[in-house]
Amino acid sequence: MDIRAQVAMVFHLDKCIGCHTCSIACKNIWTDRKGAEYMWWNNVETKPGTGYPTKWENQDIYKGGWVKDGNSISLKGTGKFKGLKNIFHNPHMPVLDDYYEPWTYKYQDLFTAPEGDDQPTARPVSLVTGEHVDVKSGPNWDDDMGGSKDYARQDVNFKDLTKAEQEAMFQLERMTFHYLPRICNHCLNPACVASCPSGALYKRGEDGVVLINQERCRAWRMCVTACPYKKSYYNWNTGKSEKCVLCYPRLESGQAPACFHSCVGRIRYLGVLLYDADKIQAVASCNEDELVDRQLDIYVNPFDPEVIYNAKKNGIADSTITAAQKSPVYKFVKEWKLALPLHPEFRTLPNLFYVPALLPGMASVADGVYNTTSKSLWGGIESNRLPMKYLASLFSAGNVNKVSDVLKRLMAVRLHRRGVTVGDLKKEEISEAMNEVSMNADTADAIFRLTTLATFDERFVIPPAHREESIEMLENTADFKGSTGFGFKERPARGL
Amino acid sequence: MPKLKLLPTIADRLSKKIGILTIASIIGIGTVNAQDGEAIFKQSCGMCHSVGKGRVVGPDLKGVTTKRKEEWLHKFIKASQSFIKEGDPDAKAIYDEYQVIMPDQNLSQDEIKSILTFIANKSDEKPAENVEAPKAIPLTAALIMKGRKYFEGSEPFVNGGTACISCHNLDYDNIIPGGMLAKDLTKAHSRLGGDDGIKGILNAPPFPAMTSAYKNNPLTEEEITSLTGFLMLVDKDKVHRHAKDSSGLLFGGFIGLCIIITLIMIIWNNKKRKMVKQHIYDRQRDTI
Repeated sequence: MDIRAQVAMVFHLDKCIGCHTCSIACKNIWTDRKGAEYMWWNNVETKPGTGYPTKWENQDIYKGGWVKDGNSISLKGTGKFKGLKNIFHNPHMPVLDDYYEPWTYKYQDLFTAPEGDDQPTARPVSLVTGEHVDVKSGPNWDDDMGGSKDYARQDVNFKDLTKAEQEAMFQLERMTFHYLPRICNHCLNPACVASCPSGALYKRGEDGVVLINQERCRAWRMCVTACPYKKSYYNWNTGKSEKCVLCYPRLESGQAPACFHSCVGRIRYLGVLLYDADKIQAVASCNEDELVDRQLDIYVNPFDPEVIYNAKKNGIADSTITAAQKSPVYKFVKEWKLALPLHPEFRTLPNLFYVPALLPGMASVADGVYNTTSKSLWGGIESNRLPMKYLASLFSAGNVNKVSDVLKRLMAVRLHRRGVTVGDLKKEEISEAMNEVSMNADTADAIFRLTTLATFDERFVIPPAHREESIEMLENTADFKGSTGFGFKERPARGL
Repeated sequence: MPKLKLLPTIADRLSKKIGILTIASIIGIGTVNAQDGEAIFKQSCGMCHSVGKGRVVGPDLKGVTTKRKEEWLHKFIKASQSFIKEGDPDAKAIYDEYQVIMPDQNLSQDEIKSILTFIANKSDEKPAENVEAPKAIPLTAALIMKGRKYFEGSEPFVNGGTACISCHNLDYDNIIPGGMLAKDLTKAHSRLGGDDGIKGILNAPPFPAMTSAYKNNPLTEEEITSLTGFLMLVDKDKVHRHAKDSSGLLFGGFIGLCIIITLIMIIWNNKKRKMVKQHIYDRQRDTI
């Protein structure tokens, strides 16, 4: 047992309103620099849709992630031999137009244009070339071009759906969409780290944040190809690759990352998960149908004395173990089994989990008549507006049972709370739904509470960074203490 | 230069040669005697020209002093190339006939004069009859093989001169490509006037770079003979060779290029060829 700590995340998709506040918070802090304008370390996608970069989920195009190779796994697009072959010309990388060409507007023209018959306009100019551009695409064109056949119908996750099922999804009365906010998954088995020829990427020991060392990065851009989530970006100005840093400077000072902190819908949860690193290889190379279960197995119970013993043996601080015990992520993922990883079939063991959207059908069409009332208050999950196969393609490598289990649980909580607050449902109906997923009222209330009323401290349980330990490794703490505090930015003329 | 040492202050103020020569002639020291003409001729002209012994590399100079004006001769000797370019018809005719550039001679006015005096005197002499030719080393096959070794540098020159191949190229059996600093010597034997021309040049090289290269380590008689023999062999054999190699290189290069391109296309066959949104843009453009 090799117990390690990982700062993991849960996004509750039922609560996401697609406002992009997270993306803007991230952009303002990290990526409004030259060369980084096109990067969105946090982006919100509209699903069904093609995403950002376009069709990133289609690894036949981008060759990201791992593939099963006998009893083990190998990188799909990079690695030792393939990496060497393509080291000077990486043929599967997204080009700038696969993201979009970043632009701004010449606002000054509105003020400085000479007097004329027409209103002056602010024309778009490229942030890359400075030339006028016709805007053809943006970071969330799916939203702007909602439902169009160019975007929504090109969603890669329709691959398991029949033509008829796809058509049914796009009938007016069934048409639906939900949002999918994405950041770096800070995976347990990161393909980006494995692919880097310079060894510039690493996974931090204390909290599992995956980072790119800007001094070692040599711009081979293998990580751009290798990351199946396309969350490693190349900065054309600095000549280095960059990625989401999970706002580690904020984490170290006890604050939630900017995108978590700013989330309007409070969909984001962050906390520590303890996992057994010995199992990583076996889990990452198991069969596709067991991937989700095996991955969820790797996270261990932080209350188990044996786990605590082994964690302490590995140098994990008591405060981190306590944080793991309070972790909202542990509750969502392990206790309540409500959250699933995004695209586990990429085999990177992502640490960002999603509570899938429960979108019950609210209307039906009979003989061309559109009925807004169904028999029960909400239709069953079988009439979910997003087909199970579609959700399964997103969250469980095609395993429909895993997704429908989660939706049944969500529905049970909803029915239970309806019974508590309104009381217009039959008792049997509620208890039947509860029994089916073996959930008791207390659990349902706890889920309800963490979903709706949770405070900052309940949503974000951030382990103390224990900076003193890292300082101790380098120097004497007493010396350090004596040398900090009051100082000068400029050397004074006298003294010192 | 003793002249400079005698009058350093004046010499400093006056510009270069003309000034110096003027002063030198006024003072009357350091003039070049006609007797020196023979020595200078041997050193600077003898390898390409003869007086009364027929054409070598350049024309026989017998009677040239009466044929041309003195001013003309001075100009040609000092800078034949620019003189030809100036468009003098006689100079051009000579170049057209011999097709060899005569190197510019770094000689003073007086030195040239002494040479011309020497040529004029020599032209008047009656050719001595039955003069025995100097005893030449007989050319043997072994000597020719040695010539090849000298050329390649596998056999060093006795006086430590640089091997020919460092500056010259020779298009011959199995000889590695030589330097590109000086002329290709494949056709040198016929181009430079046969044995006498080559020997003359090797005895006292007229080309500035070659002059300085062999100034302190001249070639021996044996070396010259063997090199001349070898160059003759190369030149002769060249007649039987066909220019297959250059076209072979072109053809081989083209085939090689095709193979490399094919390999690239096979190895990187499954690359991402176009941007993912291309079909979207295409469709949108077509619907406008």
